[in-house]
Amino acid sequence: MEAKQQVGFCSVCFHLSAEPVCEICSAPNRDHNTICVVADSRDVIALERTREYKGKYHVLGGLISPIDGIGPDQLHITQLVRRVSQQSIKEVILAISPSVEGETTTLYVGQLLKPFTRVTRIAFGLPMGGDLEYADEVTLARALEGRRDLD
Amino acid sequence: MYLKTLHLRQFRNYRDQQVEFFAPKTILLGDNAQGKSNLLEAAELLATLRSHRATRDRELVQEGEAIGQITATLEKDTGLTDLAIALRANGRRTVALNGETLRRQLDFLGVMNAVQFSSLDLDLVRGGPGQRRSWLDALLTQLEPVYAYILQQYNHVLRQRNAFLKQQRKDGDRPVPVSFVDEAVPAVELLAESAGSEAIPPDATQLAIWDAQLAAIGSRVIRRRARVIERLAPIAQFWHQAISDNKELLEVNYAPNVGLEQDDPAVVQQAFLAKIQQRAIAEHYQGTSLVGPHRDEVEFTINQTPARQYGSQGQQRTLVLSLKLAELKLIESVVGEAPLLLLDDVLAELDLNRQNKLLETIQDRFQTLITTTHLGSFDAQWLKSSQILTVEAGKIRPS
Repeated sequence: MEAKQQVGFCSVCFHLSAEPVCEICSAPNRDHNTICVVADSRDVIALERTREYKGKYHVLGGLISPIDGIGPDQLHITQLVRRVSQQSIKEVILAISPSVEGETTTLYVGQLLKPFTRVTRIAFGLPMGGDLEYADEVTLARALEGRRDLD
Repeated sequence: MYLKTLHLRQFRNYRDQQVEFFAPKTILLGDNAQGKSNLLEAAELLATLRSHRATRDRELVQEGEAIGQITATLEKDTGLTDLAIALRANGRRTVALNGETLRRQLDFLGVMNAVQFSSLDLDLVRGGPGQRRSWLDALLTQLEPVYAYILQQYNHVLRQRNAFLKQQRKDGDRPVPVSFVDEAVPAVELLAESAGSEAIPPDATQLAIWDAQLAAIGSRVIRRRARVIERLAPIAQFWHQAISDNKELLEVNYAPNVGLEQDDPAVVQQAFLAKIQQRAIAEHYQGTSLVGPHRDEVEFTINQTPARQYGSQGQQRTLVLSLKLAELKLIESVVGEAPLLLLDDVLAELDLNRQNKLLETIQDRFQTLITTTHLGSFDAQWLKSSQILTVEAGKIRPS
């Protein structure tokens, strides 16, 4: 109960936070020029666990889903566009799951942001330790789609 | 492939019933509402994870119970496989292969194959297009299990897009001037018109994305459906000719809602999007998707006459029988093993000539489960080589 009363949303990135601006947004040593867009606060926690990403985040608070009455206006999309257009952002990484709703949200947000900056999306493919032989057709097709040059 | 054992627990009206099959043909004998079709339904679920009778898993679980189970041992060329399905009155079903629970149900499909032929199938010709689409989808799922995933994705995008269109109509935020309510005016001009007066509303962006998603996944559905009909049609034609003593020529045609000019993903998608543009105004007013494979049709013609309107009862029966025989052969050639045949109350509906054609084809190659209320219509020789089981109030015993 106490936690629920104290925790609100960060006013910048909408990640869960007890302060008006969350730890990640106020950290001085993080990369200010990169924003990673996710659907949910849980995704931020998952990405933070990797300790590989040093930029900032933006939590949309859901995915576009007309069945559930969720359109772009119900998500923190306008705030994201404002952030990107007003600050010098070099790259926006869209890290949204490849579901039907995730795909729609990715394409929608991507279209809005493209005039301002470089927009990328995370790759989808085989899990580590996964064997090509046992991968299903859907995953393999995705992985093939997102192939890249060998460096 | 050969189904050796089937064990039903708290499934429909079966409390706990083990069945062993030892002949290629099994006849399930019993009065109505004793559980004959329920047993066949269990076999259908093992093959397709779908039931043509139940819409929700709750109906499949015995009343008052939380969980129902179907377990089976299947013998294939590659060895024995254990299959298990757990159905829940509240909650998702789980499936297991050889004792290992599968993360994705898709991996369960294609292990066992079966062709279902019930008296309901006799309506396939005369019924609505929806019936023919679900028949086609069930066949495709068995031939190409990944199709189940594609179709599910398509239906999901379709539901989302419909919800979006409905919302737009309700909002009525962008009333179309009366002069534009004419299908001859392309929607592109309409968009340009509204863009001239003010910026394109943001929802046009979202609609374009739903269009693209529907076209991308929808064209995969269309191409796979076209491909299966192309392979099935000549086999069905052969059988129809054989049963009708060369008097009738059957043609099976796929009539997709979005025309299939060329079997190329990019071309089909383009045609899909063009048709959406054409129907944009109608879609806006009706608040639902009017373009796509959910409006596909399969046409049957006998001697160039549409069988749906003009076919006689007998012709329609011959047609459905030919389709079912073609399914058996097609699955056999694609999968490399003979599928099971499930005959639900249908033999009595066929005359002797058609019965014989069917029985000749099956012989001992296809394991067959047959339900019937009386043995009168069966050939004596046939009865001798069959295992006969009596079904009574959810109990099965040898007779």
